[in-house]
Amino acid sequence: MTNEVIKEAVAKQQSGDRKLAADNSILGKVMTFNIGDQVYGIEIQYVTEIIGMQHITKVPHVPNYIKGIINVRSKVVPIVDIRTRFGKPEIPYNNRTCIITLNFNETSVGIIVDSVADVEDIHTGDISATPENKNVNTNDFIQYMIRGENDTTKLILDVAKLLDEQEA
Amino acid sequence: MAKIEPGMESMLDMYFFETNSLLEQLDEILLRTEQANAFESEDIKEIFRIMHTIKGSSAMMGFENLSVLAHKAEDMFFVIRENPDVITDVSFVYDLVFQVSDSYKTQIEAIQNHENGEYEQMNFDELINKLLKARDQLANEANPNAAPDAKTENAAADASAPAVHTEKGKVTVRVFFEEGCQMENLRAFLLINTIREECSFLEFSPADVETNPETSKEIVDHGFLITFSEEDNKDYILKLIETALNVQSYEVLSGEESAAASSDAPKAELPPEPAKTAATNAPAAPAPAPKTAEEKNQAAVEKAQAAVANAQSGAQKQNLISVNLAKLDALHDIVGEIITTESMVISNPDLEGLELESFNKAARDLKKLTGELQDTVMSIRMVPLAGVFQKMNRIVRDMRKKLGKEVDFVIEGENTEVDKSIVDSLQDPLMHLVRNCMDHGIEENVQDRINAGKPEKGTIKLTAQNASGEVVITVSDDGAGIDPEKIMNKARRMGILTKPENEYSEKEIQNLILLPGFSTNEQVTEFSGRGVGMDVVKANIEKCGGAIIVDSKKGVGTNFIIKIPLTLAIIDGMEITVGDLVFTVPISTIRESFKVESGQIVTDTSGNEMIMIRGVCYPILRMHEKFGIETEVTNLEDGILLLVETDNKSVCIFADRLIGEQQVVVKPFPTYLSRYNIKGEGLSGCTIMGDGSISLIIDTNTLIG
Repeated sequence: MTNEVIKEAVAKQQSGDRKLAADNSILGKVMTFNIGDQVYGIEIQYVTEIIGMQHITKVPHVPNYIKGIINVRSKVVPIVDIRTRFGKPEIPYNNRTCIITLNFNETSVGIIVDSVADVEDIHTGDISATPENKNVNTNDFIQYMIRGENDTTKLILDVAKLLDEQEA
Repeated sequence: MAKIEPGMESMLDMYFFETNSLLEQLDEILLRTEQANAFESEDIKEIFRIMHTIKGSSAMMGFENLSVLAHKAEDMFFVIRENPDVITDVSFVYDLVFQVSDSYKTQIEAIQNHENGEYEQMNFDELINKLLKARDQLANEANPNAAPDAKTENAAADASAPAVHTEKGKVTVRVFFEEGCQMENLRAFLLINTIREECSFLEFSPADVETNPETSKEIVDHGFLITFSEEDNKDYILKLIETALNVQSYEVLSGEESAAASSDAPKAELPPEPAKTAATNAPAAPAPAPKTAEEKNQAAVEKAQAAVANAQSGAQKQNLISVNLAKLDALHDIVGEIITTESMVISNPDLEGLELESFNKAARDLKKLTGELQDTVMSIRMVPLAGVFQKMNRIVRDMRKKLGKEVDFVIEGENTEVDKSIVDSLQDPLMHLVRNCMDHGIEENVQDRINAGKPEKGTIKLTAQNASGEVVITVSDDGAGIDPEKIMNKARRMGILTKPENEYSEKEIQNLILLPGFSTNEQVTEFSGRGVGMDVVKANIEKCGGAIIVDSKKGVGTNFIIKIPLTLAIIDGMEITVGDLVFTVPISTIRESFKVESGQIVTDTSGNEMIMIRGVCYPILRMHEKFGIETEVTNLEDGILLLVETDNKSVCIFADRLIGEQQVVVKPFPTYLSRYNIKGEGLSGCTIMGDGSISLIIDTNTLIG
């Protein structure tokens, strides 16, 4: 989703117009997954597939969050560990650990997540923008947030930033 | 904006393919004949045929401007064909035809990029006028008394000599076109044009195929009847018919039946060689200076060679089909999966401990076959560089004219094969480089060259060769070379220097020209100097995993060296393990592999390990240290050493153990990883092995360097 769409959605919620504020149309779908206790999401158009953990071939001379490369049906796909990328402690991979392969601008990348949760709709009324606070470590990769039940928040990743970032 | 006729989209691809290959053929003929500086009648006929086919198919597709343009060019060549000696000033004819060919290419490109069937229609009026003028001029020269003919067809009809033929000795063929191919009448017309050259007598029915679309139905129902003389080369004509576009089948009818058939239908007579009479007039026309006997001989020899070449290319064409690249990619992926699946079946854990004699035999056969399958698929994607190289010929030719520089263009190693996708992405960079050589490289002033002791004529060389798993392409000129002083001045002005000036080596200075926005030519010309060239070249080459190096000497010349990996190339590799990683070392670089005993190791004062083999000392490179891999094998005696060598540099690689020899398919690292310096550190790519796991391919060059 473009930033304009998000701004528009946020503006609608805050607008005095009741009709606009009540607009709860579906803007798209996200796939949600867990890292630790936090739920993250990725818009579904970027997701190619979910595969189970498999042997990852290490590649030398890359940052530690790039775990290596795997073979997905004769395509070589690099693997990024989201935990390490976000500066969280590594945990051993278990049978819930998954690789989600993403495709953005013809670039394929797989990300390792603790477990995959669900696929759900994005409602206009649930979107909220990220705080304008750059002190939070992972803030850069979050495009916007979705409010869920019981005051939970799902952080939607900015795939473009995640895959196209320059080396920090 | 013009619109592509509805219902034609399905045939567009075919049209583009056909027309583009015809245009390439045309360029080739023009370049060849221009060098010989004379049109052979064969060539003229060929050009005439090409124009004619393009005219027909363009009209069929509804591209009127293209059809008219081809028609006018055809008109001009009609005059030339009938009066081969008429051309006194060959060069302007060449320029015209090249212009026609270029206009075609641009218009076709515009159509190819159409959106919802809309495309920009170009105006060729100016060019058409030029062609008309040229034709009239030529016609006047050929026959001052005759008024210039308005139209080829008319001219042909007017000049038609009474056809001399007898009823017997005729061959009639009934041709059927492919079902649903549409426009049968125009296809029939094209077919007639194809065989017309070969026939001294030609009749066909229905006769008004060119103008009357109604005839399509008749052709579908009853077939298209062609009658020609038995004296003609029957087999060849039949072959032409057989191989013509969209022809489904044909049958040769007996003489009587054909007579009956053709008497039913409206009859048309095509004059044998339409304007034989005009041709006989030609000697009366102002003839150019007679050729010397020697020239004639030479021309004859060349003609014979050309004929042989044509025959060969004709034979080859039959064996070629064009395939969508996406299909090949899909095929390639499937083969990869088959091989992975195969090894999953053959080494399935369920089979463990079972005695399976016949299964093992079948498995071996399968393995052999899949291996062959893989090899074949790989080789399909490999195409020679010749096509791209030939296009450079044309660029040199155009620039030679425009810039007035005398240049020899030499091509070597054009048969080197590279993956198709790489060939495509090489075209633009090569074009830029060749242009740069012409524009900046070769000296403006011939006197400068003479003063420098160089031959008056400059040389631009384009070479390709295979070298240790890479294709090396060089574009070199013997021109003025790069002046480091000038580069430095410019760089200083632009403020792109990143370190103190005196720390720049000559090589680094030369490579500054590859930076964005760098162009030293003060004058921006049509060809180069916009400062977008070199960095685009660099970016394009790096996109397909290659590298470019500038190597120039002031006053001597400039070499651009492009190194391209063989993306899908198959290399013979030796698999070695280090920790839990598998590496592939190209066998071509391995001299020997051996176990080592502690006594052979020499350690110098700074702790570098070396080994003495037959009196030569080689450094030892521990792979696990180089790549930071954890392994239990750290004692040199426990592992294995491989002596590898490239470019006269050698090193002993220390690995855990050898697995064995395997043919592997080189795959580039994913683009996501290209921002990290993996390739500079001794790895050239990766490969997927039989069991689906990935092995990293060692690049001996960067590993040592």
